[in-house]
Amino acid sequence: MDLFHDSPLFQGVRQMLGGFAKQMMRPIAIKHDQEESMPWDLMKTAQGLGLTQTAVVDGRKKLTGVEEDPDPKKPKSQARLAVVGSEELAYGCTGITLAIGGSGLAATPIARMGTEEQKQEFRKLLAGTDEKGHIKVAAMALSEPATGSDISGLKTSARQDGDYWIIRGSKQWITNGQSASVYVVWAQTDASAGRAGVRGFIVGRGTPGLVPGKKETKLGIRASETAQVHFEDCRVHKDMMLGVGGAQTGGESAGGLADTKKMLDSTRPSVGAQGVGIARAAYEFLLERVKSSSLHGTPMASHQHIMFEISEMAMEITASRGLVHRAAWLADHHIDNVAEASMAKAHGARTAQWVTTRAMVLLGEEALEPGHPVEKWYRDAKIYDIFEGTGQIQRRIIAKHLTGQNPT
Amino acid sequence: MDFALDDDQQLIVDTVRRFADRDLRTWSADADRNGAPPDRLTHVAGELGFFVDAVPAEHDGMLEGAWAHTTRALRGYELARGCAALAALLETNVEPALAIGKWGSDAAKKELFASLASGGLATLAHDSRGMLEIIDGRVSGKLGPVPALARASHLLVIAKELVFLAPTSALKITPVTPSGWRAAQWATATLDGFRPEHTLPADSAAHILAWARVSLAARAAGVAAAGMEYAEAYAKERVQFGQPIGRFESLIRLRDDAETGAIAARTLALYAAWALDNNHPRAFDLASRARVLAGDVVARATIDAVQIYGGYGFVNDFPVEKLMRDARAFEALHGDERLGRVLAQKAVV
Repeated sequence: MDLFHDSPLFQGVRQMLGGFAKQMMRPIAIKHDQEESMPWDLMKTAQGLGLTQTAVVDGRKKLTGVEEDPDPKKPKSQARLAVVGSEELAYGCTGITLAIGGSGLAATPIARMGTEEQKQEFRKLLAGTDEKGHIKVAAMALSEPATGSDISGLKTSARQDGDYWIIRGSKQWITNGQSASVYVVWAQTDASAGRAGVRGFIVGRGTPGLVPGKKETKLGIRASETAQVHFEDCRVHKDMMLGVGGAQTGGESAGGLADTKKMLDSTRPSVGAQGVGIARAAYEFLLERVKSSSLHGTPMASHQHIMFEISEMAMEITASRGLVHRAAWLADHHIDNVAEASMAKAHGARTAQWVTTRAMVLLGEEALEPGHPVEKWYRDAKIYDIFEGTGQIQRRIIAKHLTGQNPT
Repeated sequence: MDFALDDDQQLIVDTVRRFADRDLRTWSADADRNGAPPDRLTHVAGELGFFVDAVPAEHDGMLEGAWAHTTRALRGYELARGCAALAALLETNVEPALAIGKWGSDAAKKELFASLASGGLATLAHDSRGMLEIIDGRVSGKLGPVPALARASHLLVIAKELVFLAPTSALKITPVTPSGWRAAQWATATLDGFRPEHTLPADSAAHILAWARVSLAARAAGVAAAGMEYAEAYAKERVQFGQPIGRFESLIRLRDDAETGAIAARTLALYAAWALDNNHPRAFDLASRARVLAGDVVARATIDAVQIYGGYGFVNDFPVEKLMRDARAFEALHGDERLGRVLAQKAVV
């Protein structure tokens, strides 16, 4: 039995987003990669379809329109929907996928930890269009120049001054960092409290002291904007601090770094699924080329040298997808999936890198042509072993799960 | 057996290494962004003897006596440590010049060497998949992308049944800028019923490709080594979880394996070069094997260099993302080396 293929809900999402990927994303993917530009028109379309992952707080319709059973003990479908959708969108273009979904990174902690007033403020800041006529986007500002994998060492500080917090520090590798209309920035409010002192704040664009910084030129995912963001004594009202008052999650760490880490954990199967999507894109391109091409007069598909490697790609992609689906299924059934989520993410990243690299070799000089999709996917794939926890971090999590200790 | 360099080789390695460290690495990022070499490259490299070192002395070049592939491999490794794209430009004249010097007619020599001696470039294209159509001595089809072709006056073509030198003025040349070796002034060539005037014997192809393979292998090893040099320095400085990341065993392993690969790839490239210099019966086979190994090594090492840099590895303020882009051409040029080996061996079983 295949839960993902037998279910009409998952099938529907797969077909709809697969069609969106092929018809809407692919035709513009190379252009936005070469121009390093955001696909604003498509982002607007995607927003209308409920793909911007801000539905939880911004009031737009959800993609499926399906309401989950509120009974917390009943299985959910959210994680499985996310991985099915992520693979399809990444199959279209991961840069555009991240441009469309980038605001979701900021929306998620607000949905999880925000008060009704904070959600209201977030909705207000995301409503309408910005000064360029673009849809408004949000940014999650967590990583810092000295704090990539190790998010416990945040240097950005927040100091209380009456009803305000004064935020100071710089953020690095921030999706939508230059264009966002609203930022969720993470800062240390009490250095003596360590991780428990880290809090999130909602900061609207134009707030004095909020300075969008340099946009990065990247190896891949170029349709998604990545920039530095600086907070130069940026004053934020205390009501905009997440995890206080009406926080949605309980416990002493509510709203703090532990919640943030849980949030990152929950996205790992989807990130692994995006790796599967890139790998599948390169594999299918190669397979079609091989089926329709000849080599010194013989069909390319008649060569073991080529077809066994393509078979290997099919095996790895299927294995990665299996890990991704299992991690999502566990999450939907409220079963601990920390190790499985890391396995899914790390394996998906490895498959994406390996398949795209080998596809380029098998395509030969053709793949050197500017604007070749497989060359783009080769560059896009690398980030999947870096962001949302590097491959090393995933293996550390798995190892800790196995023995209870962190290997160094 | 002696692995030590002689005095001349050591001098060349030291000189080229200084040039690579001081100039090529400095120029590399801008050249990559601009998709073109710096103006100074021709002048500085010319002073060091590049471009005409494979042109016979009697044709205003610098080659006296036999060409030394070993020395070329040594210097290619060092050049590519500096910048793969600029190294490709600096090495581009060698195959056409050696081939025409060895097998070319007087007319071909006169035409090519006059161009190279006056600052022209030439380059090599291999129709590895048999895409060119040859009917009644006329050649049609598309070649490339080929490095240096956008600036070259001549293109040496290896097709299945034919080896020939073509003036680029007789071909349709379309400049392109691929993602890797961006400064190497690439182009594609379209031949439309081109009738070659300067043909070479068919068996010259195996020689020429072996020279090119060894050169590519040595340069690929140099890029792999550069990736690990950068990664080692970064891993000493970057602190995460309270210690330099270079102390994490997993990252030590990544770097150490890549270095082992780079050393092996360089050694095999030098062995193949030595075999070419000494007319060893296995020279062509070793050249091909050197390229297979070096291709694998540079692919893995550059991906892992980016991995060690983490988020900084993905942005172009740091040198390693360029290396990952540059790595691809080493495996793509002249076709999939493993495939060529498999087909050749299948044919004789």
